[in-house]
Amino acid sequence: MNTITDGAIIAALGRQMNHAVARETVAASNLANLDTPGYRAREVTFSDTLDQELEQSAPLARTAAGHLGDANVAAAGTTETSGLPTRRDGNNVQLDRELVALSRASSDFSAAQTALAAKFRLVRYAINEGR
Amino acid sequence: MSSLLGAFNASASALDAQRTRIEVAVSNIANADSTKGPDGQPYRRRDVVLGAQPQDTFDAALGRADAVGVQVQQIVEDQMPFRRRYEPSHPDADAQGFVALPNVDVPEEMVDMLGAARAYQANITAMGLIKDTISKALELGK
Repeated sequence: MNTITDGAIIAALGRQMNHAVARETVAASNLANLDTPGYRAREVTFSDTLDQELEQSAPLARTAAGHLGDANVAAAGTTETSGLPTRRDGNNVQLDRELVALSRASSDFSAAQTALAAKFRLVRYAINEGR
Repeated sequence: MSSLLGAFNASASALDAQRTRIEVAVSNIANADSTKGPDGQPYRRRDVVLGAQPQDTFDAALGRADAVGVQVQQIVEDQMPFRRRYEPSHPDADAQGFVALPNVDVPEEMVDMLGAARAYQANITAMGLIKDTISKALELGK
């Protein structure tokens, strides 16, 4: 099954970063449309992303015809957020909720980036023969 | 990365839209008592119509998470009737001595302006966070 290799760890961190970017993008879009009548808040479909990531062990998994065959392309679709109260203009974006989602995604990205940078540092250390 | 720049553009479009809302609210307040415009009629209250603007990018074509910006679709004139005040000495008064005043409600404009200012701030915050993420990503290349 999955052995913990540098390649696998780097790929996993890359996926985490892609997922964080997708969440950040969706939260920024929701914030931009804070006052657009009829706009519905969206969120990244986590289960699809999870399925995709579980399929990573089988190479070239494709969940939609539009996807490229590369297993590293994280395919994060979006869906309407359910259970939010709708305002009178048909909009259900909540300012605080989106700002929290944005900061959380940003922190997740930072965490993955820090780990990835450490990984790269080790590789460079090996290339330089420990100097 | 392209996705992050899309998010950045979406926030920027929101800044544009909210600034327009503030500008319109300000001109409504400024003209709350203008009894005669260029067309000889009292000033009519203006209102901004916002619409979502999906961005036409590669990510969108693949059905992946992509940024949705916002756009000012049009600025419409409020067709509510004018306010009327009895002031026979006014040069714009009609035969009965009533002056037609703009259909602007100043407190309502203030509330709208505050909402737009808060939304503007929220989008500035969002842009800051996205910018942090982009520079964090660029640090990997160091």
